[in-house]
Amino acid sequence: MTEIAAVRPLAAVLVSFIAAGLILVSGRRPNLREAWTILASVSMFGLVASMVPAALDGDILVTNLGTIVPGIDFALRADPLGVLFASLASLLWIVTSFYSIGYMRGLDEDNQTRYFASFAVSVAAAVGIAFSGNLLTIFVFYEVLSVATYPLVAHDETPEARAAGRKYLAYTFFGGGVLVLAGTTLVYWLTGTVDFTPGGIAALANADPTAATLAFMVLAVGFGVKAGLMPLHQWLPEAMVAPTPVSGLLHAVAVVKSGVFGIARVVLDVFGPETLAALGPDRFGDLGIALPLAALAAITLTVASIIALRKDHLKRRLAYSTISQLSYIVLGLALLEGDALIGGLLHIPAHAFMKLTLFFCAGIIHVETHTDYISEMAGIGKRMPLTMVAFGVAAAGMAGIPLVAGFVSKWYIVIGAFEGGNGIFAGVLLLSGILNIAYFWPIVYQAFFETPEDHDEKPLAEGPYGGRDRVVADGGDAGDHAVDDHHSDDHDSDHGDHHHGGPPAGGWTASNWRGGESTWFMLGPILTAATLSLILGIVPHTAVFLRIVETIVGNLPGVMG
Amino acid sequence: MSDALLPLLIALPLLAGIFPLLLGLRFERAGWPVAMTASLTVAVLAGWLAWAVSPWSGGPQRFVHDLAGYPAPYGIELVGDGLSAILALLISVVAVAVLIYGRTTGPQTNAFYSGYLLLTGGLLGMALTGDLFNLFVFLEIVGLVSYALIASSDDGRAAYGALKYLFLGTTGASLYLIGVGYALVATGTLNMGDMATELAAVGYTDPLVQAAFGFILIGFMLKIAIFPLHTWQPDAYTYAPDTVSAFISALVSTTAAYALIRIAYDVFTVDFFAANPLITDAVLLVASVSIVVGSLLALLQTELKRVFAYSSVAQFGMILAAIGLQSETALFGAVIHLVGHGLMKATLFMGAGVLASAYGAQTVADYAGLAKRAPITSGMMAVAGLALVGIPPSIGTLGKWFIALGAVEEGSWGVAAVIFISTLLTLTYIGRLLETLYFNQPATTDDETGVVGDAGDATDDGSIVADGGDTERATAGIDDVAPVATERIVVVVVLALSTVALFGAAGLFAEFLDPVFGRFFQ
Repeated sequence: MTEIAAVRPLAAVLVSFIAAGLILVSGRRPNLREAWTILASVSMFGLVASMVPAALDGDILVTNLGTIVPGIDFALRADPLGVLFASLASLLWIVTSFYSIGYMRGLDEDNQTRYFASFAVSVAAAVGIAFSGNLLTIFVFYEVLSVATYPLVAHDETPEARAAGRKYLAYTFFGGGVLVLAGTTLVYWLTGTVDFTPGGIAALANADPTAATLAFMVLAVGFGVKAGLMPLHQWLPEAMVAPTPVSGLLHAVAVVKSGVFGIARVVLDVFGPETLAALGPDRFGDLGIALPLAALAAITLTVASIIALRKDHLKRRLAYSTISQLSYIVLGLALLEGDALIGGLLHIPAHAFMKLTLFFCAGIIHVETHTDYISEMAGIGKRMPLTMVAFGVAAAGMAGIPLVAGFVSKWYIVIGAFEGGNGIFAGVLLLSGILNIAYFWPIVYQAFFETPEDHDEKPLAEGPYGGRDRVVADGGDAGDHAVDDHHSDDHDSDHGDHHHGGPPAGGWTASNWRGGESTWFMLGPILTAATLSLILGIVPHTAVFLRIVETIVGNLPGVMG
Repeated sequence: MSDALLPLLIALPLLAGIFPLLLGLRFERAGWPVAMTASLTVAVLAGWLAWAVSPWSGGPQRFVHDLAGYPAPYGIELVGDGLSAILALLISVVAVAVLIYGRTTGPQTNAFYSGYLLLTGGLLGMALTGDLFNLFVFLEIVGLVSYALIASSDDGRAAYGALKYLFLGTTGASLYLIGVGYALVATGTLNMGDMATELAAVGYTDPLVQAAFGFILIGFMLKIAIFPLHTWQPDAYTYAPDTVSAFISALVSTTAAYALIRIAYDVFTVDFFAANPLITDAVLLVASVSIVVGSLLALLQTELKRVFAYSSVAQFGMILAAIGLQSETALFGAVIHLVGHGLMKATLFMGAGVLASAYGAQTVADYAGLAKRAPITSGMMAVAGLALVGIPPSIGTLGKWFIALGAVEEGSWGVAAVIFISTLLTLTYIGRLLETLYFNQPATTDDETGVVGDAGDATDDGSIVADGGDTERATAGIDDVAPVATERIVVVVVLALSTVALFGAAGLFAEFLDPVFGRFFQ
């Protein structure tokens, strides 16, 4: 691996910051403003893509902006792991930009200038996170990302959105400003450096085990907040009040993935699998101190799937699905085994493509029909055929059905779990696959095979837990959404005042299969994202992501072979 | 030659302080030009001093000047080193900024400009003196002028705030003087350098020495406004004219904290802390409590200036903690945070002043939706506020990083935890401000504010152009709405951006402070 001084890593970050400035000053001319977004996203992707061949060849492009504190430079390094995340974020930013334009204009939203500017800064921060060469640099961009996404979460300015924004800030700053900073300080104190080194910082292996363990736990939980690890996941479902493109790009790709990416950096490049395996009490076995992380991820992915079963609000169900899927990645990383690492890292792009498709589908349904609740979507396949087909494809991938991206990554994680002798985690993954089918299949099924007048009851979502006490609920079962009833899930009460969700009187009108259901501004991105997840599922090696991932894992000493 | 800078830096503003009043007898508007000329000259001199003590000048990095040619320890010494040069630069730069900011907003009396120059001179004296009694003199100059400037508002409450400050500030200065008296009895000298050697000879566990430090510490804690000795400060900051609030909040407590650092590490030295663990623990405990309670009190306030005032209580708690940690790293962070806090608070108070004169906004609730009308000022307040939270890239992050690192290095896990948690504590009140600025709808009725006794005139929708071309609403109860002068906004912008730019300045600070800390931590 050779390091080459270059400006491209910096340029990739800056292009989007500059775009944010241009967006702000051209706020009065919407077409020009959107042109900046598109231009920036395309050029950013171009810059990042141009660094992929070098990363695959083992060359690392580095921009060093000088020393922040003694021993720590403000450095941007385009190593394979960074290129993986940066190319993903910038590629999907292009897709999302088009979708955003369709969505925001379709709903005639206020404050679009602030929205697009914050969006550009968020993506810049995400790419900055990807290219950060050490923990302090990643902390800088991590916090910029928190600040920049806050206006997007609170975009609606309703009390609910503001409350979600407050919660988001509190959680992310607890994770970033408190824990990540504390962990970085600890690592610096222990080793005198915080630079990312494949296989881990050597000095950490010999450091005081108690302090090193503390540093790992603080960092893992700090990044875990954005990665939606339970019990610090609460901000994510709340943040679903944001406009759907935000939920899509930021809460399925940039923000949550930056948390997962941070954990990947900590596991692979700060501590290294070997050091982690050596830490922790003996009874933790081969995984060492990564065992608690793996256990937390396993619990999160199961529990989140179960909660998702009962969510009737589509975006909230997707949010819990996100929490669950992110823990696949964390689990893959925490298993510390070559194939599991490949699977976990590959799940970063795989999940991004699929979840983006799903969120976009939720958004287009909202724009076109103002329907947010799954129980009102029976027969919607007639109205939005292409959308629901894409939804079905992505949902199948989520469950790990072959030919879609989710299968490949999950396969690797399961194999890795068995090879590492941790069969129980493989069992958890398979169980989660079944739960995925259980909460996605009804949506697809009822969209195509049922009609609004004639659809089955959803006892799991609508009935009380465990199916008991049916007798009590005959008062129109209005109060039955006892579970977390402060969420907007109990939508029964507000049916009266704005009944614009659900099918119109007389059922859904049929749309043609050539895009008559909406504008191509939104349909195009949906089909693109769905296609990408199919490509990654069918020919993972040709789609460059698997090769990048194999390079990353191949660079780790003592992991493969 | 360069040592002549030291008396010049102090004497120039003090002497110039006569001229606004003197020339004011003849020319009504003489004050501002005189003050501006003097401030700019002082700024140039401070820059020169900074260059002279920097490693790049090639000369010595510490200058000593014997006033009137009497040699120390009998005469009074002025000392310029990297640490005092940083303070002198901060004082002179903020002073110029305040003056530009205050050109249109006042107080525009010549008495104000005289007071302003005296205050600048007093602060520079505190930063440069090498004599404990001389420090008391400058402390009193600063105190007395501050009382006068705070009371210069038309508001009766300002007079009350100034009186309260007078009582407590004088008490603080007196406690300091008692401490110096004890030290004098113990050592027979007042010169700082001389006393450091004498104290070591007397022994750090001598009750007289301990008592001396105790009195000096409590005296400065009053002046710095550390909880629970902070009670003068919110009233003083809140009711003073906006210009004065910005000036005092940015510099007065900062310079007092600098003096405490100087006395603690240059006179009493780290060995004193090492010999008296009880005193060290007490300092750390008080500092931690100040961080937490100051933040919580800030959260409870409705008036914005009061929020910032209590925020200072918390931020100076962090600096006091760094002093108590006896760690070079933490002290380095403390100096960075002194500078950073000065700049951030100046920005916030000036921003609040702009919004107060444009929209009559006093309480946090008044700030609802102002970001749409005053995007530049609001944006810069957001930048400074986030810097205060410690969000990178900003000088706030740097200070916090080094103080926290020092705490970790020393194994003071409790203090380290408080410093990390302070991110969230600061976020509680800054986040509330940002949310109100950007996401709350402007109040349409005046019934929900009602905290400040201004005669609400909510129907007045007369709008004129200010701040980046956005419309503003007439301030309640005032019929003639003055647009905000552009230079006030420019000052806010420059200061806010400086807090971000200084993120890259850790190396620069190290160049200045390494020789000084080399002496502190031998």
